[in-house]
Order: sequence, then structure tokens, then C-alpha cells
Amino acid sequence: MAYRMVGIVGGIQLTLMLAPVLGAQVAVPIAVERRLAGRMHLAVGDTITIGTAPDSVNSKAVISSIYEPAPDPASVTRQDLHLRMHLPDLAQLLGAPDRVDRFGVKLKPGVSAEGAAAELNQLAFGFRAHPSRVIASGSSQTFRVVSRFHRAIAVISIVASAVFLLCIMLLKVEERKPDAAVMRLVGVRGRIIFGAVVLEAVLVALVGSGLGVLLAALAGSLTNLYYRRLFDTRLVFSLITPDVLIFSVALSLLLGIGAGAVAALRLVRTPPLVLWRR
Amino acid sequence: MAFAWALRNLSRHRLRSALVLLGLAVTSAMLLDMILLSGGLERSFEQLLLGRGYQVRISPRGTLPFDTEATIPNATRLVTTLREDSSVVSVAPLLGGSIYARMSDSLLTLFGYGVDPMSQALYQVTQGEDLLPADRNGIILSAPAARLLHAGIGDTVRLVGVLDPQMAQGRAEAVLVVRGFVRWLYDYEGQPSVGAWLPVMQALTARSIGDRVSFIAVRIRDGVAVDPVVERLRRGLPTLEINSVGDMVAHFRDRMVYFHQLSLILGTISLIVTLLLVTTLLTITVNERLGEIATLRAIGVSRRRIVEGVVAEGVLLTLVGGVLGTALGLATARYLDAILTSFPGLPASISFFVPRASGLLLAGGVLLVAGTFAGTYPAWLAARAPIAATLRAEAT
Repeated sequence: MAYRMVGIVGGIQLTLMLAPVLGAQVAVPIAVERRLAGRMHLAVGDTITIGTAPDSVNSKAVISSIYEPAPDPASVTRQDLHLRMHLPDLAQLLGAPDRVDRFGVKLKPGVSAEGAAAELNQLAFGFRAHPSRVIASGSSQTFRVVSRFHRAIAVISIVASAVFLLCIMLLKVEERKPDAAVMRLVGVRGRIIFGAVVLEAVLVALVGSGLGVLLAALAGSLTNLYYRRLFDTRLVFSLITPDVLIFSVALSLLLGIGAGAVAALRLVRTPPLVLWRR
Repeated sequence: MAFAWALRNLSRHRLRSALVLLGLAVTSAMLLDMILLSGGLERSFEQLLLGRGYQVRISPRGTLPFDTEATIPNATRLVTTLREDSSVVSVAPLLGGSIYARMSDSLLTLFGYGVDPMSQALYQVTQGEDLLPADRNGIILSAPAARLLHAGIGDTVRLVGVLDPQMAQGRAEAVLVVRGFVRWLYDYEGQPSVGAWLPVMQALTARSIGDRVSFIAVRIRDGVAVDPVVERLRRGLPTLEINSVGDMVAHFRDRMVYFHQLSLILGTISLIVTLLLVTTLLTITVNERLGEIATLRAIGVSRRRIVEGVVAEGVLLTLVGGVLGTALGLATARYLDAILTSFPGLPASISFFVPRASGLLLAGGVLLVAGTFAGTYPAWLAARAPIAATLRAEAT
């Protein structure tokens, strides 16, 4: 035996073993996913023995291809290893001839999936038909939960940022009290001072947003790099879309204007002589 | 003395201080939540696994319990062997799989557990009786299963297993009497589960051929170290997967690595924001008060006293912000936990945020250090202010 590995393949336990070919048993063709091939040092044309349990590894198979499975976020953390066989070969191996886990049914154009599923379910015994949309919705439930969690965390972050921005603006306004007093005493109108403070807040928010976008892009790249390597997958873990970008910058500007307006109001509503006294 | 001075300074600018406290409360809440999240899930999972005192799980090679439909063959022989081990107190074989209940002309899908009622690691009886030893006629139900089946204690339930679509009938059927209602420890919210004696469930799910079970839980004798026993079992049973609770938690941690890392990143960001907030406020406050500080120095107040006063301001702000943040953090942790525990298929008794005294103390300690550190730069500014030049600048 050159190499032995026991693992889970596609939700069914199969045991794989690299072994010298003995006897005249016909080897069935199998396709092996890239990670499994890499881990077991397999190449196309290799013959291996497979079985459903470590103590019954006695069916021969020849590797006809090595494939890259479609990235699946639902199973990325499970790190299951997959291989593909022709249906009758797998059924034979499992000792369950002519049994399947599920069917995919393609309907004629114009036929409602819901209607067809309902009709099948009325006739069904031992199976249940689901429209693909319903299955997709059920499968994406995990990601909806994660999205809700991210939104909640984002709200907390936004509150913290808003308070931080307001603090900074108030402190900056405090510093400007003598300047503002002089300007008011020489006749500069309150509206101008208000506008100047708000403009400054907008500029701070814009520059902050720009830096934030750069930081997010960097963090996103690092996140993708790290998790792609960790899970050996092509999945995209962090994606900055134009929608997210526009929303973030708009929110940042809105917060900046709000914080600037609150701080500026305090400045223009205070009499100049009071401002001068500090 | 330093704290009284700090308090007086902070109360001079009430709006400013209140805003900083609000900001600190939010960032402290986030920090606390992330500390609770970083280890909460693992602790919760560990408590769940140890709920019935079984420290070891034996499953098919390459799998974790209930990860796949793979099963262990020749279970009775294996259980007998394990029970003969002097380190083992109890062995609980378990089978799980889909099962159906016939109600008039329809079939309801349930999750069926096959258990040995004399040694089981899976449920707690909440009402009625447990299964009897070798109970061929009894069944126990979860509350959702009882609701779905409209069944009460003493009622009969007709279970059907291994449906054959071609013959339009089940290959095995059993009529069982409801003995009691139970809480299955690993069920997700609303899971309709039923339990029967292991051989009954094996017959219903066609697992009696080969005497198959999903996994076996093993309870090690008190005082015996678990890890050496696990190592010994691994050597003796090389075709099976043998994990202690610690191993299971490690596997779980690997799968939930995202939350661990997210908590680390967000916790660090919260700490940085806390530092920035306190440092910014104190730096600007010190700059505003340079004249006052120079005057104090001129009349003989020592540098050390000035530094203490500024650092005390940072500590005071962080302390008050931290207390407010703890209350806010515990409230938000409950809200965030409610979101995350709605993950499909997650056991209902799992929590992501587990409040613990050590977590609170850690958050408090980290905040205190951060507050003290945040005050050092403005304190250094205050201490190095030249007395004469500052007073002259103030006078002009």
C-alpha cells in the first residue's frame, strides 16, 4: 500500500486507498477533485481501491479526470473531499442498486415549477418535490443570518463613528471660538461661519471616506487572500460593490454634515463676547 | 486628589465629556461583545457536549457525529467491548435518521433517534416517563413532534421507515406508545424528533442489517484522565474516529473560525477607537489648559501631580464609559445572540455570546489599560510645557 486515506466524499463515507492492482477486477472510472488528488498525490490513470468503510476497501477504480468543484460557500468550512462516479457504479458500491438521493427535473418552457411540484407531491410516495427557488432560499438561510449579524455590527460601528465625528467637530469648534468671535465682531454673518464649519466637516468626512475606502479595499484583499488560502478555494469572501461604496460614502457625508451642523450651531448661537471670553 | 481634579476638569465641559462617554460606551460595548463572542461559542458547545457527562464520541472514520449518514457496523459487539474497559463507566450507542409518521392518509417527516434508555447522552425527560429497558413498544417525543403528531402521553404513533416509491409503501412499520416528552439536547429550534429503543429504530431505518449506529458516546470514570483513554481507544479501534470533547470543540472551532477572527478584528478596532477618542479629547483639553497648568507649575505643583491628574482623567473617562458600555454590551450581546442562534440546523441550546465573569473582567482590564495608556501622551504634553513661555503667551 503506497498511501491510505479515510475521509468523507460527498456526504457518503468512502475510503480510498492507493494499492497495487491485483486480480482481474474491472476498475470503474472516477473523477477526483483537485484537493483530494493533491492530498493523495493522485494523477489521471492511477488505479485506487475504494470502499464504504475502512475495513471493506476492495473495489478498484481508475482516475479518469481531476476536476475543480464549483465553489460552494455552504460547505467551505467543512472541508469535505469529493469524487464523482457514474451513478450505477456508486449504487453498486453502496449496495443500493437503483436508488438515488434526489432527482433534478427540467420542466418545459412555460410550466410553473410550483405547480409541477404541487402536482408531483400529490402523487408522491417516498419523495417530495421542491421548486429550485425554494431550495435556494432554504440553502441561503445561513447567509441571511450572517448578513443580519453584519448589519447589526455595522449599525453599532456607525453609531460609534457618528459620536466620534461629533466629538471631533465639537472640539475643533471649541478651538475656533476666538476666531469665530473676531469674525462675528468684524461683521461676518453667522450663516457664513455656519457654512464654513459644515464645509470643513464635509471635507473631513470626504477625506475620511476616501481613506476608509482604501482601507476597506486593502482589508478586503487581505481577507480574500487569507481565507482562500485557508480553505483552498476560489470563493470571494470580501467584495466591495459600487452599491456598498456609494452607500458608505453617502452615509459618511451625511454623518459629517450632521456633526458639522450641530457643532456650528453651538458656535453661531453663542454671543461673540461670550465666545471671546472662552 | 488626582481623581477629584480630573472630575472637576471633566465637568467643566459637560457636553464634550458626555459625548466622549457615549462614544466610549459604544466602543466598550463592542469590545465586550467581541470578547464574549471570541470564546462563547466554544464554551457553549463544550457545555452542551458535557451536558450528560459523556466525554468521548466514537463515530465512523473521517466523520463527526451526525455529520453524514455514515454508520458504525457491529455496534453491539463494540459496545460490549467498550463496557468491559475498566476506565469506562457508561457507553451510549445512538442511531439517527429520517423517519416518517403515518397520519390518516399522509406521511409526516420526523427525525428518529435510536437510543439505549439505560445509558443515553441525548435527552432529558420533561414530562411523563422515559423508555423502559428493552422497550419494544415505547416512543418518546420532542415538544414539536408532539404538536405535529397531535399526540399526548399514552397515545399511539405509527412510524414508517424506508419508503419505497415503486411499491408505494414503507418497508417497515411500527405502532408505538408515547411514554413521555423529552428535550433532545442537539435539536434545532422546532425540530420534530422522536426516540425509540435502538433495535426498534434500526429495524425501521433498515440499519439492523450489520447492526449499525450513528455514533457511540463514552463516559470515562471520574478521576481517570480522558486523553490517555482516547489515545488507547484510537490504537485499539483504528477504523473509527475517536474524539474527546476537547477534540470536538477544536473541530467546531475550525468550522467557526470566521467568528473567532471577526471578534479579534472588531475587538481590536474598538480598542483603537477607544484609545483615539480618549487621547484626542485629553490632548485638546490639555492644550486649552496649558496656561492653567503652567500657573500650577509656577506655584509649586509638581510635574508628577500634573501627569497624575491628566492620566486620572483618561482612567476616569474609561471607567465610566466602561461601566455604561458593560450594560450596553450585555444588551447588544443578547440581540446579536438572537440573530446568530437562528442559524439553520444549530442546536437550540447553543449560544454565541456567553456572559462570564472572566470575560467582563478581561474587558474591564483591557479598557483600564487602554484608558491609562491614552492619557500618557497628553500627560507628557502637560508635563513638558515651559512655564515662563506659556505664561507669557497666555498674558499676551
